[in-house]
Amino acid sequence: KKAYLQQPVLGALPSAAINTAAGVDGLLIGAYSALDGQQGTNTAFGGGGPWEAAADNWVYGSVAGGDAHKGSSGTDQPAINSIARFSVDASNGFLNSKWKADYEGITRCNNVIKASAAAKDMTDVAKTQAVAQARFLRGHYYFDLKKMFNNVPYVDETTTNFVQSNTTDIWPKIEDDFKFAYANLPEIQAQIGRVNKWAAAAYLAKSYLYEKKYTEADALFTTVITTGKNSAGVAYDLTANYFDNFNAATKNNKETVFAVQQAANDGTNTISEANNGDMLNYPYNSPFGCCGFFQPTLDLANSFRTDATGLPYLDDYNSHPVANDQGIASTSPFTLDAGNLDPRLDWTVGRRGIPFLDWGNHPGQGWIREQSSAGPYSAKKNVYFQATKGTYGDSHSWAPGNANQINIIRFADVLLMAAEVKAQLGTGDLGLAYVNRVRARAANPAGFVYTYKNAANPTGGYTTTPAAKYVVSQYPGGYFSGKALALRAIYFERKLELAMEGHRFFDISRWGIAQQSLATYFNVDGKVITDVKGASFTPNKNEYYPIPQAQIDLESDGKTSALKQNPGY
Amino acid sequence: QTKYKGRVIGSDDKQPVIGASVRVKGTTTGAVTDVNGNFTLSLKAGDVISISYIGYITTDITVGSDTNLNISLKAGNNSLNEVVVTGYGSQRKKDLVGAVAVVNVAALNRQPTGSVENQLQGQAAGVTVVASGQPGEAPAVKIRGANTFGNNQPLYVVDGVPTTNVNDFNPNDIESMQVLKDASSASIYGARASNGVIIVTTKKGKGKTNISYDAYYGTQQPKGGNVYDLLNPTEMMSLRTLAIQNTARLKGTSADLGSNLYGPNGNVLPDYINAGFDPETKAPNGPFGIHDGDPAVDPAKYNVNPFYTSGDPSGFYRITRANKAGTDWYHQIFSSAPIQSHNLNVNGSTDKASYLFSVNYFNQQGTLLNTYLKRYTVRANTSYNLTDHIRVGENISYAVSENPQINQNDEGSSIGMSFREQPIIPVRDIMGNFAGSNTANLGNARNPRAIAERTKNNYGITNRLFGNVFAEVDFLKYFTIRTQFGGEYYSNYNHSFTYPEYENSENNVTNSYSENSYNGYSYTWTNTLTYHQVIGKHDIKVLVGNEAVKNRYQALGATNTGYFIFDPNYTSISSGTGTPTAYSFLQRDRLYSPLIARLDYTLNDKYLLNATIRRDGSTRFLNEVYGWFPAVSAGWRISQEGFFKNISWINDLKIRAGYGVMGNQNNVDPPNAFTTFAGNRTNSYYDIGGTSSSTVAGFAQNRIGNPDAKWESDKNFNIGFDGTFFNQKLEISADYYKKSITDLLYNPNLPGTQGTARVPYSNVGAMDNTGVDVAITTHQNLSSELKMNATLTFTTYHNVIKKVTLGQPYFEVNSGRFNGSYIIRNQVGGPVGGFFGYKTDGFWNSQADIDAANQKAGGTYQADAAVGRFKYADVNGDGKVDAGDRTLLGNPNPKFTGGLNLDFSYKRFDLNMFWYGSYGNKIWNDTKWWTDFYTNFLGAKSKTALYDSWTPTHMDAKAPIQEIDGSFSTSTVPNSYYVENGSYLRLRNVQIGYTFDPQILKSIGVQKLRVYLSGANLLTITKYSGVDPEIVGSGSGNQAVDVNAGVINNSATNSSTNFGVDRGNYSPVRTYLLGLQVKF
Repeated sequence: KKAYLQQPVLGALPSAAINTAAGVDGLLIGAYSALDGQQGTNTAFGGGGPWEAAADNWVYGSVAGGDAHKGSSGTDQPAINSIARFSVDASNGFLNSKWKADYEGITRCNNVIKASAAAKDMTDVAKTQAVAQARFLRGHYYFDLKKMFNNVPYVDETTTNFVQSNTTDIWPKIEDDFKFAYANLPEIQAQIGRVNKWAAAAYLAKSYLYEKKYTEADALFTTVITTGKNSAGVAYDLTANYFDNFNAATKNNKETVFAVQQAANDGTNTISEANNGDMLNYPYNSPFGCCGFFQPTLDLANSFRTDATGLPYLDDYNSHPVANDQGIASTSPFTLDAGNLDPRLDWTVGRRGIPFLDWGNHPGQGWIREQSSAGPYSAKKNVYFQATKGTYGDSHSWAPGNANQINIIRFADVLLMAAEVKAQLGTGDLGLAYVNRVRARAANPAGFVYTYKNAANPTGGYTTTPAAKYVVSQYPGGYFSGKALALRAIYFERKLELAMEGHRFFDISRWGIAQQSLATYFNVDGKVITDVKGASFTPNKNEYYPIPQAQIDLESDGKTSALKQNPGY
Repeated sequence: QTKYKGRVIGSDDKQPVIGASVRVKGTTTGAVTDVNGNFTLSLKAGDVISISYIGYITTDITVGSDTNLNISLKAGNNSLNEVVVTGYGSQRKKDLVGAVAVVNVAALNRQPTGSVENQLQGQAAGVTVVASGQPGEAPAVKIRGANTFGNNQPLYVVDGVPTTNVNDFNPNDIESMQVLKDASSASIYGARASNGVIIVTTKKGKGKTNISYDAYYGTQQPKGGNVYDLLNPTEMMSLRTLAIQNTARLKGTSADLGSNLYGPNGNVLPDYINAGFDPETKAPNGPFGIHDGDPAVDPAKYNVNPFYTSGDPSGFYRITRANKAGTDWYHQIFSSAPIQSHNLNVNGSTDKASYLFSVNYFNQQGTLLNTYLKRYTVRANTSYNLTDHIRVGENISYAVSENPQINQNDEGSSIGMSFREQPIIPVRDIMGNFAGSNTANLGNARNPRAIAERTKNNYGITNRLFGNVFAEVDFLKYFTIRTQFGGEYYSNYNHSFTYPEYENSENNVTNSYSENSYNGYSYTWTNTLTYHQVIGKHDIKVLVGNEAVKNRYQALGATNTGYFIFDPNYTSISSGTGTPTAYSFLQRDRLYSPLIARLDYTLNDKYLLNATIRRDGSTRFLNEVYGWFPAVSAGWRISQEGFFKNISWINDLKIRAGYGVMGNQNNVDPPNAFTTFAGNRTNSYYDIGGTSSSTVAGFAQNRIGNPDAKWESDKNFNIGFDGTFFNQKLEISADYYKKSITDLLYNPNLPGTQGTARVPYSNVGAMDNTGVDVAITTHQNLSSELKMNATLTFTTYHNVIKKVTLGQPYFEVNSGRFNGSYIIRNQVGGPVGGFFGYKTDGFWNSQADIDAANQKAGGTYQADAAVGRFKYADVNGDGKVDAGDRTLLGNPNPKFTGGLNLDFSYKRFDLNMFWYGSYGNKIWNDTKWWTDFYTNFLGAKSKTALYDSWTPTHMDAKAPIQEIDGSFSTSTVPNSYYVENGSYLRLRNVQIGYTFDPQILKSIGVQKLRVYLSGANLLTITKYSGVDPEIVGSGSGNQAVDVNAGVINNSATNSSTNFGVDRGNYSPVRTYLLGLQVKF
């Protein structure tokens, strides 16, 4: 009768089946798959909304950093309001979703390492290749946690007790993973989505930068810039046109250092591999249908003002505001801003009267859900083109998906990080050349936004008339007269170049300028937009997010928790 | 003296009376009847013997010369000798020592519903039933409260065959129903007994062949009037003005009332809510100022293709007239609907055989459009006496049902939209296509009528065969061996089409079609051996047996997209042009019980002892496969004691107590013990090649194994009494119980560091339940013609969570629109399902109050405090309001529930009334989040928001100040504003019947003819402000497979910890019936 009660597991692979070469590669694909934070069927890992664990950190990096308002209407996704206003507390469920998604990624990496150790049909070389990719990815997940929460518990392939304290700094562990990956990964991978040696080098250098280990960072960035190649073996360089980095048709290009691959219409009848995390971030009452989130701030738009020589107003950009249609109905007349603007504005901020890719001129209020709480602008970098919407757009959900890559590190980012290191070390031209390389690309007229030949037929092509007065120039030689100015210019360039890509909060936080730059934003936007009116950033607290209360409780023995809350929360 | 042989039977059931005392008058000689009701005595003609037995009227007989005495004892007017089916056997009710509620089946069948479970509401003490108005939706049934965080569904044992589903049973087939509530009665069902056991016995053939036909036809009427108390379009405009003015005042800015909808001053209703769109961007045109005659409303320009197959609907040229009077969305989806039932029953019996055949047709149209239950059932029950000692038989039923349901209390359902879609939106546009929110400032709700209509062709059919065959042999006088093989085979197929939407501001633009099916079987093979002997004063009954159970469930389904036409005759998985996706799923598990044993011992009819033990093994456990489930109970018929015999008003009184352990494994998934990996296209595949269009297969861990999970144990103590008083006019049965569930199987959240693979069930939780069940019955002859029977049932349970898991004092569910915060916290010290959040303590009536509070707090007392907003209570007394001040706000579990059956008969008339009440349960009225706060999306709003919200001149308000923005201090966190008293008293059913004179009927060959009029839910007394206070958990009764997780998602599981939240409930409705009962 004993046999009657013995039953094998049904419909799933037992551990033993996984410990093979094929199993290890499957697990590795699974570890990559976790990069987007999505469990499928419109949920993030562990059950939150897809946007709660979006790989581009649009909530935690861009909304919190002042790139964008939450958008939509006041009470839609209210958990983001407290993040944007820095009144966030440990019970905010979004943070728990983000935490779970990163640790799911880590678990998958650890499972690759465990399975490859047990696999009998793999050569040591093959094992190392698998482990090196897994360790790169693990480094990424921990980096993401580190910049969000600072103090996080560490688990690896040897961990058996998953209640771990968060009092040990994990930077050395992150470095170890990237070093291993750098040392062992090949330059060229058979598949473009796999990470290579140079991606590891860039990420290691980025870790050094965050740790303020400028000397180590400097050397490594220099190597990456001079000899780095993408996984297809193409030497790193900036693409000719800025927007090629945000278009699925031109993705995985020479500027791509590390990107999360996304696919549209992949046969699942879902958008879970198609930028699910950004599904809310399209204009409202528009051909996209939903949902009007992630609206660029006035402060961000104003930053793109350039002076007569094409340089930015590093300090008083808000004194030269860009004209906007806040409070003006779409049917009422509106006059476009006629001043000098950095052309990157119109690839970053959807604003009234300017071609919104090939979807038509942005109509202003007609596409905005609630101007009073979130302002007049729409996000743009995460949108797909109308001409290719059947291929790169994905309508298998109540809000759209697309096949754009999610840029984690692109070469422009590497250049600006390298510039920052130079400025910090006070060496060479203090990073001026790197900054200018980025600005030179921005100035390429071929990469400007042009008006439509026929606005009623926006896919019918463009004129040669720029949509606005684009004036952008490189800093003159020797302009970076000292470390302070150089850093100000470099910080500003990062704001412009990488706006809406999920970096801003982590940058201003590590630079120690969060309080003042956010105060400026709250002040400027808060005058007309209600969501951040009266908000304030608390130094020595809000640089990091609180450890999710749910996790503190889960690692508690009933009296004390292995997890210590971050200061101030 | 001669040896006389006698046999005593009950006049009511013709069954032998076992243990009756037979005394020769005037002597001390006597005897006790044996198992077969037989006795022998040495008598002589002329002796008078007195036969007495509890519950029967004592009978004196003068012995004649015939030495074979056949004595029929007349039953008293009470239920003591009712034979009650218990675990693997039967007993007379008077001998019960466990807590068993015997249900009055006649009262049950008066409830007009197709579901036995619904009918059970209020009919048995200790059973709590929360029912839905949706045809076919299984209600939430709890026996003695919540026993688990998972599925609380009791085990049903139908004609000896265990099952979890009696939803498709024909209620007319039920002969008797018993609820086994405590361990001493239920733990013989071991591993599956923890939630209580309901024993159902179906009718058998009786007497000479007879045919009966029972039918009713009636109408169901949804609640009338403005059920959500919503504003009309003009009032909506006034509310907008109020909110803008309030916000401007709070912020010290000027109020801008200009609106795309209501014009520059925000005070004119438009004639059209849309007409055309912006040609460049496809943004809908602002409707203000569009009147008849406006070139934009030229029907020639109209261009809407409701069945578009590609692209998106933003280029449609819509023309929709405003409904200035306001659309009553609730009654666009709810309307009167018919209900009918026809039952034909043919049965009879001879010495050798009994047979019963029944057919039932039940058709309940839902009051909500396109919901209904249509069901056909047939049953055949037969038994044959092959010899005097060998019996064989079968009971079998087959049901075919169609039962499309909606997910109620779900934001996306048609009901959920009926209080959100703005009243200015008409149902249809000028050309008869659906109208909706697709224009400026009309919010993002979806047309409820469109949602309901679009399900019209969704179709499903369920088949179920259920039954058993058995053989019984009596041998060696005292022994009976029985073997029974029973089970079920079921299958379901359903398909649904998702139409592309065009009328809303947020549309699903992809058409898709799905087919889903499942089938499975379960069988139980039971073998028992019974020994029963009466030795003098000792009545001994012993049962031993074993049992094997096997279940198998498999599912298969597919979805495709890209249909060129939506004709239901065309759509199939293969006719779509998209990429079809498919899934399949298999689950099986087995239980084996090597030992089932039971001892019933009665001494002198006074002392009763019952002991049971069962050993169960399950495939769901790996390291500890088997568990023991013992129980013992004792009873003392105190009224038999000498010192009681003189108390004449006590006819019978028995006290009893029991203790035992029941098990539970219901919530454990079969693969629980194993760590597994799986590939899943949506979460472990990746486009590693950068193709933008396809992914490569990958794997991820999908389950963490727990090989150490073992049986949950539900330790159960019960004490009670059964009494019959006042010349058998009053019967009372009362119980107090205490249940401690330890090693409670729960799948707690694990630290995030362990990843998000499915968490295994572990023996981590604990909870306690205490309560009292009381049933009181009285029989009164008010006059010779007017008789009354009344039964009152009273049920309480008090549930306390003792432990969730190590170090984890709570788990939360149901965040609604408070994303990041949950409405329900199941926490240690609290009940299952407790509502959680901030406690409101009036409003901030002046800035001075806020300043004073801030000063006292030395900072911010409460985030976002402003005049007119909620003032939250500083629950932990630390001088400020923060997350630590959240507290339990209410308990959705009732303090008590009760049912009162009143039956009157006067001459040939009968009147039955059934009242049901629930007291002390709280409801989270989540509909108010949408309707009472202007800021919470631009949908329909309530009269409360306009007329009873805080303003400087109306501080004594119900709702807070109406504003443009939401805040912590109004609507973005859960607070006690939503918690309402859900107590109610309901006149569940009234029935007036007339039975025709049998003498007259005889001449036309009719034995019995009764007609009746009946009304259900005629009156409900409640303070609850929503549609109805009876709120089931969210989710439909449909089973769905979560293929990703490799488990069956049973919505009954979800509603165990998540109930009493009103998000648009499909409420029980008023029903009027005309019925006929005829017997030939």
